[in-house]
Amino acid sequence: MNRSVLYWRAASFAVAAGFVGLWQMIANQRLVSPVFLPGPDRAWASLVRGFTDGDLWGKLVGTLGHMAYGWFVASIAGIALGAMIGSSRTMRSYVAPSLEFLRPLPVSAIIPVAIAMLGLTQSMALFVIAFGAIWPMLLATIHGFAAVEPRLYEVSRSLHMSRLAVIFKIALPSASPDILSGMRLSLTVALILSVVCEILAGLDGLGHWVLLSARSFRSADLFAGVILLGVIGYLTALAMSVVEKRLLRWRSGGH
Amino acid sequence: MIPERVKALLLPVAALVALEIWARAIHLQSDSLAPPSAVAAALVGAFQDGSILIATRDTLVPAFAGLSIGGAIGLAFGIALGIFHVFDRLMEVTIEAIRPIPSIALLPIALIALGFGYRMEIVIVAFACIWPILVLSRAAVGGIEPRLMEVSRALRLSPADRVRKIIIPAALPRIFLAFRLAAGIALIVAVTVEIAINPIGLGAAIMTAQQALRPELMLAYLLWIGIVGYLLNTGLVVAQNHLFGRAALVRDPA
Amino acid sequence: MPAGARQAARCAGLERPQIAFSNVTLVLGGKTIVENISLDVKPGEFLCIIGASGCGKTTALRLAAGLYQPTGGAVSFDGKPMLMPRRDIAIVFQDYGKALLPWRTAAGNVSLALEASGVASSERAGRIDQLLKKVGLPNHAEKYPAEMSGGMQQRLQIARCLAQEPKALLMDEPFGALDAMTRQGLQDEVLSLVRASEATVIFVTHDLEEAIYLGDRVIGLSPHPGRIGIELKIDLPRPRDQLTTREDPEFLRLRRELFDFIKASEA
Repeated sequence: MNRSVLYWRAASFAVAAGFVGLWQMIANQRLVSPVFLPGPDRAWASLVRGFTDGDLWGKLVGTLGHMAYGWFVASIAGIALGAMIGSSRTMRSYVAPSLEFLRPLPVSAIIPVAIAMLGLTQSMALFVIAFGAIWPMLLATIHGFAAVEPRLYEVSRSLHMSRLAVIFKIALPSASPDILSGMRLSLTVALILSVVCEILAGLDGLGHWVLLSARSFRSADLFAGVILLGVIGYLTALAMSVVEKRLLRWRSGGH
Repeated sequence: MIPERVKALLLPVAALVALEIWARAIHLQSDSLAPPSAVAAALVGAFQDGSILIATRDTLVPAFAGLSIGGAIGLAFGIALGIFHVFDRLMEVTIEAIRPIPSIALLPIALIALGFGYRMEIVIVAFACIWPILVLSRAAVGGIEPRLMEVSRALRLSPADRVRKIIIPAALPRIFLAFRLAAGIALIVAVTVEIAINPIGLGAAIMTAQQALRPELMLAYLLWIGIVGYLLNTGLVVAQNHLFGRAALVRDPA
Repeated sequence: MPAGARQAARCAGLERPQIAFSNVTLVLGGKTIVENISLDVKPGEFLCIIGASGCGKTTALRLAAGLYQPTGGAVSFDGKPMLMPRRDIAIVFQDYGKALLPWRTAAGNVSLALEASGVASSERAGRIDQLLKKVGLPNHAEKYPAEMSGGMQQRLQIARCLAQEPKALLMDEPFGALDAMTRQGLQDEVLSLVRASEATVIFVTHDLEEAIYLGDRVIGLSPHPGRIGIELKIDLPRPRDQLTTREDPEFLRLRRELFDFIKASEA
């Protein structure tokens, strides 16, 4: 990484640190009641306390578990279904319009239906998370498969490639940029729905932690939880970026 | 050759008819499902007693208010970041740190600070809307044809004029697209907040219907939420085409 | 050449055509693209097809490739009807960028054809090296298509086609998107590659000089609908040379004839 990029990054960190300092000042001066705004020192102390003495680690794992399960199921189902629908023009013309209608529907609205069917349980949460996370995957995969360069299909016909070979060697790699961006969106949806379901159903997770902290007016704990959720969001996005960069190396080259 | 329109409707219509027949045949008694005819009746009923209209208002008001506030903040910052590269680079870490926080995580904070009602929902929606608009308007400003910036320098436009006469009009199509996307997000976040905790609006209505063990009303609200979302999106697409038409050769993700 | 005389020559036991069109007509979307095309291509022959825009020359090539099925008449290869593309007929497309897999390296792209033919993985590396060397890309095996110039990408496509060990090579304006210098270099490369492999070639181009330079025979189609309007035997000496062949009086005469044909057909 070249020098100037490094310097700018450092300066940027300094600015962020400055904001944290400002936050600390506001908290110290009690410009906002400490019931609502704890200083960064108290938030940090709560974080440390939560991990050493308290159950914060368990809560973190709980949320991550919910996210991971939902996202995993959604990825497999979303890619498989999306591949099937996206690669067939007939299926697309029958199914795609309905999907387009459902696209702007807030997916959290399925939660009451899920509660009606499964009660305020873990299964309800997992169902909701998987259901919510499927949509970005499905839509992106359909788009990716539908957009495969037709010339490549002609090449595959000329080479007498088998159906399976066409899917795995041509369609899937071609659709991978779209699939990966769908996965990114799915992760965000999975995180949000995990938190909402944990709040509603009282499941073991950060959503529940922040709700309890809020109810007992323990603002430091509350902020610690929110920060952790931000960290999850950041790390998962980072992980996706790294994966994307590796798998999509071929996109960056060229003039 | 079946026309495309008919093909599009075939699946949903067939599904609804099948569901209706099945539900009637087994004399469906369920807390979570209801025959489509009952759902339609419940929807009409909710219109007749006005409850659905109040709920819709109670969702759309905070959604639009949050969109406006978050949009204004996001737009101002986005344009500033797009124009002043120094500012952009200095703010990078701060933005990357705050952006990933899911808006829903702020729910408890907003709750204890503002209590139930419009205000806490507006705050959460605003927070959610800031980011897509910030990112996209920054990209929109960054993507302005450099030739236009040269022209503005040659004409010696004042900074205010430059923003008003060149930057905003040139970036407008993509900024409009950003608002269109953010509007969808605003609706989703508003409904989600209501489902999670806020006792007003369509989200609360659908939760109440479920708790009252009235699946036909619950599904009616679900359908209505879908319709509202669809109309909102379609309306904005029509507006976009109308305002920008062929000039907005914008890469449309929707 | 009238159909009757050709029939007679065939019955007399002269070389059986490798690719044959018998009264081929293609109607697409209500429009007749090509009508009553009859032609025979002998094994190892280099046939060029020229014509004004919209005359159906690309369509004729795709019919020969089995990508289209004729509405009337029949296309046959080695005496058997062409119902679908064959593995031993390779197609070189004009839009090379779209015909290569952007996510595979040059070696990976050539490998695709070998994988499809069921070549054992142990053998593949050697063959890939050989083919890349043949087309002049020996050190570019690990490059992605996006990192290569237009001429290199087209050569890569040719390498992949050669990996199919084709009996026939169908080329659709392969050098149309390239600059003049690259084009001339590739023309000579194609000639030497084809001579080494003894493949039959149908080469579509809008460049009259290119057609005469490369071909044993040139067929011109007249547009709307596409019909064979002219057929010229190219008796220029091989191997061809970019300077001397192009200055040969016979070359210039042929060029004049084709030029007049195009002008007349556009009118």
